[in-house]
Amino acid sequence: MRRDNETALAGRRVLELTDEKGCYAGKLFADMGADVIKVEPLSGDPCRRIPPFASRGHGDSLYFLYMNSSKRGVTLNLEHRRGRDLLRGLVASADLILESFPAGYLRGLGLGYESLSAAAPALVMTSISGFGSYGIHSSWEVSDLVTSAMSGALYVTGEEQDPPVRSAGFQAYMSASLSAAAGSMIALYAAAMSGRGQYVDISVQESMAAVSHICGAGKFLDDGMVPRRRGSSLFASVPSGAYRCRDGLIYLMVNRPAHWQSLAAWVHEVTGNQEILDPMFEGPSSNRIEHRELLDIFIGEMCSRFSVEEFYRQGQGRHIAVAPVNDAAAVIADPQLQARGYFTRVRDGRACAAMLYPGAPYRHSLTPWRMSRRAPCLGEHNEEVFGRELGLSTAKIERLREDGAI
Amino acid sequence: MSTSGPGKKSLPAGVGSREEATLSRVAAGSSSPGPEALEGLRVLEFTAGMAGPWIGRLMAYYGAEVIRVESRKRPDVVRLYVPPRNPEAGVQEADSPWFSDWNAGKSFVSLDLTKPGAVEICKRLVSISDVVIENYSSGVIDKLGLGYERLRQSRSDLIMLSTSGYGDSGPCRSYVSWGPNIEALSGLAALSGFPGRECTMTQFAYPDSISALHGLFAVMCALDYRQRSGCGQYINMSQLETTASMVGDLLMERLINGREPLRRGNRAAHISPQGCYACRGEDRWCAISVNDERQWRALCRLIGHSEWIADARLSSVSGRARHCAEIDAAISAWTNGRDEYEAVESLQEAGVAAGVVQNVRDLLEKDQHLAERGFFEEIEHHRKGRVLVNGVDLGLTATPGRSGPGGSCMGHDNRYVLRDLLGMSDEEIAACVSSGAVEGEV
Repeated sequence: MRRDNETALAGRRVLELTDEKGCYAGKLFADMGADVIKVEPLSGDPCRRIPPFASRGHGDSLYFLYMNSSKRGVTLNLEHRRGRDLLRGLVASADLILESFPAGYLRGLGLGYESLSAAAPALVMTSISGFGSYGIHSSWEVSDLVTSAMSGALYVTGEEQDPPVRSAGFQAYMSASLSAAAGSMIALYAAAMSGRGQYVDISVQESMAAVSHICGAGKFLDDGMVPRRRGSSLFASVPSGAYRCRDGLIYLMVNRPAHWQSLAAWVHEVTGNQEILDPMFEGPSSNRIEHRELLDIFIGEMCSRFSVEEFYRQGQGRHIAVAPVNDAAAVIADPQLQARGYFTRVRDGRACAAMLYPGAPYRHSLTPWRMSRRAPCLGEHNEEVFGRELGLSTAKIERLREDGAI
Repeated sequence: MSTSGPGKKSLPAGVGSREEATLSRVAAGSSSPGPEALEGLRVLEFTAGMAGPWIGRLMAYYGAEVIRVESRKRPDVVRLYVPPRNPEAGVQEADSPWFSDWNAGKSFVSLDLTKPGAVEICKRLVSISDVVIENYSSGVIDKLGLGYERLRQSRSDLIMLSTSGYGDSGPCRSYVSWGPNIEALSGLAALSGFPGRECTMTQFAYPDSISALHGLFAVMCALDYRQRSGCGQYINMSQLETTASMVGDLLMERLINGREPLRRGNRAAHISPQGCYACRGEDRWCAISVNDERQWRALCRLIGHSEWIADARLSSVSGRARHCAEIDAAISAWTNGRDEYEAVESLQEAGVAAGVVQNVRDLLEKDQHLAERGFFEEIEHHRKGRVLVNGVDLGLTATPGRSGPGGSCMGHDNRYVLRDLLGMSDEEIAACVSSGAVEGEV
């Protein structure tokens, strides 16, 4: 039966033992209503130390604040026997464990999937590691950049004359988190049907290779061409790329024959260019590939007569796929995001003002996405989780603290 | 070329905790292939491009039955494919390597949705489906009479996901966009790249694939809720919002600190040195990240600058960031004459995070690790035989998933869908063909 204000994942419990590789996966679960308990080492998740830090409030890492919304936080020393016992206690009520330790680390502590699932056959455990849980590179040292490089994504990003360059943020880790969240949900669905959980093995390298597959094996084996860096234009779409307007850049991409006709007519109207109406340019992009440079000159001539705003609105009025190249300030001011209320106010609860956060990536009509709380402080929920929920006395918790277990 | 069969994860002995994967598989009793994770679910798709179809592709991979509805009147742009090695052949609707990939394992039914008979067929399909996925331009599905409010009359616990560039509300809801437009609009393009470049974009329409994964997660959450409550629901997704969420940490710099995030290229504020360094040969690079002090000392020894270990100027991330030009020059001097794979081997042996900047040929031919893990996926194509694509695996070990045959021609499965699934008689079908509701042959 349905209750009002229910979340989609109400009643699901997730233990999250991750760093940058997996914290977005935990966030996806937490913001959909799962009880995500972030289990940190006594020294805290290293993400707490990623700059920049909030200039308001308590000076937390902005990265940490964003990635850990709606979660609760406890500390556990897994190198300590009693710390491991406590983790086992938490596992008893958990549906899913997300972890991103180096491959094999938890197993070395006796906390591998086979051991944890012995008493909990429906448990799903998802590991996120740079290269996966097995294979000749599974013990390699990793970073977001290194896994992006090995995935093939880095090679094709940037200007032809520059070194390969990554996208902003930690996109390889974000992609791995997305794969982990989707894979875990599928495993949880199967577990609900069959009663049997499973181990989910996520490799950051493979996740990034999957999301960049447009430049992958399928294309290469079809046309024999190794995709390379080529700035902002795409190899298969002509025209495509960033063009300069009077006050900034606009991105334009033509993929459908009808869109080309609209664009050509518009260029002709504005600049008087007759040549662009030549029927040899019509049809699919493949007809225009060898004329790319010439067409870019024609389009560039037109763009320079417009502001970004004018070109965006007028281009869209003609059903041409144009969009401004927005910086962060422009994204926040974007009328579409404003109208849909994308940015969400989150109360801090620590005697400082509420802050605006980026909001819902999807909107469920019955069980809406929501941010239930800001990211936890280190060990903020130790008493609540170990005391009230695991039933340990205050004296016992104090002793665990003195022993260095929590 | 190193390839592997469809038997994911059933691979020769390696290191790490492969046993865990094996145990999980054995526990599921998979000596004979058991049911896949999503077996028993049926998904109906009204999609084009990639962001929509990839959701169904992944659900099909994990065992769902996925039926794709298409129309010849407005074909998916991916079907307008002219093979670059044989352009004289003209448009080949089922030959795009992307189409094969994004639609593998689906059934194809061709309907003219402007005809009432076709809408009726869709409603009957909805009545036997769990999930509908659509990514037509905003408003189109409603105009066709196939909006959520209509469809739930055919199936009360239906889950329907609508995904578009801008979402189903707001002043820009009917704007035209492709993945790359969203990369520009979301801030990702302007925030990425080297400090002197204004706009750096992926070549792979990143917003499409990450939106598909968000969409898959959103649908699975709704299915999880349906299992407990018996209720379906409508999900709306805007690619702009999913992509903005991927750079949410950077947007926080503007939202909370009021500052524009710095374009950092390959650097990071908490890792130094970090970058791509040129190796021997044209356009050959290795990526290096010095994650901590131990890795810094190891790097110093390896590249012949042991004196830096005791250098107080360089004993912190911020110190090394200040002197990055000097450090980068020394690393480059070491990498320049070296083969990129040998350089990375040496770095990893010394305990420094490093990887080759691989291109797609390298992934296929040189990456022994991917080969061992069976990363690449074989898809059977009705005309080309077997084709190979990047893996789509989401890591499940007990129900590992598999790729069905690559995307076929429009209407390839009309007969199966209309007769076998819906139980339509030959007369009924013939009437729908002659009214034009069903396109092409049955």
